Amino acid sequence: MSQSSVFLLMVGGQIESAEGLDEGLTQVTKKSRDDRQQFVWNFPLDITFKTTNPFGWPQLIVHAYGIDAFGTDVVRGYGVTHVPITPGRHKIRIPMFVPESSSQLQKLTAWILGRRPEYVDVRVLAQGEGREVTRVRSQGFLTVSFNVVMKDMKKLGYDVIPSEMSTSVIPESVGPNSGGTTET
Amino acid sequence: MAEVHIVGQIVGASGFPDHSLFCKWGINTGGAWKALAGLREGQTQVDTPQQHDAAYWAHPIDIHYATKGLQGWPKIHFQVWHQDSFGRNELYGYGFCHVPTTPGMHEIECPTWRPSGSFKEQVSQYFLGGGPQLKNPDLIYSGADRYRLHTIAMGSVHVRLGVILRNFDKYGIEC
Repeated sequence: MSQSSVFLLMVGGQIESAEGLDEGLTQVTKKSRDDRQQFVWNFPLDITFKTTNPFGWPQLIVHAYGIDAFGTDVVRGYGVTHVPITPGRHKIRIPMFVPESSSQLQKLTAWILGRRPEYVDVRVLAQGEGREVTRVRSQGFLTVSFNVVMKDMKKLGYDVIPSEMSTSVIPESVGPNSGGTTET
Repeated sequence: MAEVHIVGQIVGASGFPDHSLFCKWGINTGGAWKALAGLREGQTQVDTPQQHDAAYWAHPIDIHYATKGLQGWPKIHFQVWHQDSFGRNELYGYGFCHVPTTPGMHEIECPTWRPSGSFKEQVSQYFLGGGPQLKNPDLIYSGADRYRLHTIAMGSVHVRLGVILRNFDKYGIEC
């Protein structure tokens, strides 16, 4: 089974993208042949945002596609997470989910024709509204590691770390990976 | 005025008898707090997980509050509902937790409880589903009049919240 994934970094409010690509498409990869059964993309993300207001903090939206038994591209999962708000290294395991067909008959026709339910616009996942009418099936996880650097948050009066820690080294919260990559 | 940004997501829930779940959530604050931007309540999608040990919603939360006082710090409350294969909804649990008061990323596990009825109601609940619900959902996050309630423990909701504070040190608040 091979998969590729598309990602998009979405922001709201007054945040705008300053430099770097905020959308992209990874390579197509196959599952590893050992017990771990992992897909590895190792895809770099390098982007800068600027804002005066943290509302609409960037969210990473990922959708993974794969080839089914009939050779068509089908959605294997959607996932969304906020970019962490503290500077430093973070490793986040995003649960992935697939929209479910409304009935058994639709499920069967979707499986035969290869046209599974998908989101028309993936940006809806980053908003809180409108999700209550969707039914999904969660399957699998995607791991992202973020290295977050901030500039002038304190100058504008924003605290993202507790005050007694501001002069000490920020502890690492993650494992032994290199920075700024996407992997599963 | 001091400001608080709550940026995060309701990741999912685990520990329930069945994991075909959705969650209604809301954030409640005291009188001195004013929501400047963002949705204060919502409902997640219904998740029927393939691996049945946890439900995952990944529901984003992004709220901006301004406040004149510390009293009534934001509380996030949840109602976890179960949807079975026939499309019927039954209540699985209520829970709440305070939004953390220190800036930074926090992983919170919020335990939930469900009102338990009389013995007859429990038997009927076992066979037919359903069960008692609170008439006034304010009781989820308030302490008044709780002594009359009999409840049973259910699973927990997992939330990942990032808290950004602004101007709190200008008012002498240490957090």
